[in-house]
Amino acid sequence: MQWSSTERQGCIIASPDGRVDEATAQAFTDHLASSVSLAAESSSRKLIVDFSGLDYMSSRGLRALTLAKRQADTAGVAMALARPNTVMREILAISRYDKLFAVTDTIEDAL
Amino acid sequence: MLVRFWGTRGSLPVAATASIVQEKVASALLAASGRSFADLDEARAFTRNELDFATGGTFGGATTCVEIEAGDAAAGDPYIICDMGSGLRGFGLDAMRRCAGGHARVYHFFMSHLHWDHIMGFPFFVPAFDPNAHIIIHSGHEDAETALRRQQEEISFPVAFDWLRAKIEFRTLKPGEVYQIGAVQVELMEQHHSHSSFGYRFTDAAGKVAVFSTDSEHKMEKMHGEADVEAFFGNADLVICDTMYSLADSVSMKEDWGHSSNIVAIDLCHGARAKRLALFHHEPVYSDADIARMHGESIRYEELTREHAPLEVLCAYDGLEVAL
Repeated sequence: MQWSSTERQGCIIASPDGRVDEATAQAFTDHLASSVSLAAESSSRKLIVDFSGLDYMSSRGLRALTLAKRQADTAGVAMALARPNTVMREILAISRYDKLFAVTDTIEDAL
Repeated sequence: MLVRFWGTRGSLPVAATASIVQEKVASALLAASGRSFADLDEARAFTRNELDFATGGTFGGATTCVEIEAGDAAAGDPYIICDMGSGLRGFGLDAMRRCAGGHARVYHFFMSHLHWDHIMGFPFFVPAFDPNAHIIIHSGHEDAETALRRQQEEISFPVAFDWLRAKIEFRTLKPGEVYQIGAVQVELMEQHHSHSSFGYRFTDAAGKVAVFSTDSEHKMEKMHGEADVEAFFGNADLVICDTMYSLADSVSMKEDWGHSSNIVAIDLCHGARAKRLALFHHEPVYSDADIARMHGESIRYEELTREHAPLEVLCAYDGLEVAL
């Protein structure tokens, strides 16, 4: 799994690339935890996970998002998910994760 | 092997109200608009073949009870039943009919756990009053007898446990052991649930495998342990799995309520290379339309995340039979 982070308007934008399945779930979990820590130091205290590079995600990835959100809530960091592809949007709807997270079509909408 | 579902609802029995039935009839009439039927058989065929299941049928409202038919009843092989929810009443009546036809009056029960919705059918289990019946209650719990006796104390029920006429035995099983019971080999696995629960893996002489795994929460903090669950489900012909909540509910408001989701069940079955999954232990507040929607979404999620052979996703309902 590839992972990169940038900062924009004081927000951390984390960009995973590939797929989150059993083989990559732990790396995804670890990267998310680091990104929350980074966002806690940022001026806007906000983490936007850019989904545009993600092909799909199993329940392990979704549950890793929940663990990250708990860490974020404790650290006073807001979390949003941006630019999911159509498959990811469907998975977020089926799992009802679109009720747990703010999901936006663009990075700008999430800022 | 044949798996027969007598009760598929979680937590609490439910029944359709008049308004629910009226809605179904109204939807059926609308769907049949302009059609006429020569007789009841034609109308039944329309209901069965052309109406969606939530309109023409129902997932039912009896709580957990699943029969595993294995071996040869004519040769004396016994009944195998998972749990004693309110669906057990219907099984008991049908078993009496089959016993009248020569079926052995031997009943092996396998208890997932002892919560009320999984034992409430036993006081209404007619074969327990049959002096020629032999009932063996297998459980991973050592306090199964206490639970069954307690629910028939006078404060809760007018017929005391000691008044039952059948020969009743209790046996405690241990995870890691393989037991030959009736026409099946049985293994069990401890699961995360209040006061613990146990999943069962049944293998018949032909090698067909059915797994019964209800009331099991797969905790986020213990995802590394799911390899053990996948091994237990490994290559099963059918996995009956607790899919009571959405994944979001199971990790938020309903975390630690002891149940799982359709999403996690599909991932576990994919990892296990299982052939079929039966969505089970339906949320009692769900309507038939809600359950049908969950079933459709589950099929779609399976398609989206499939990496190997397809997993057939069934939705259990009271009365469903699955031949393996």
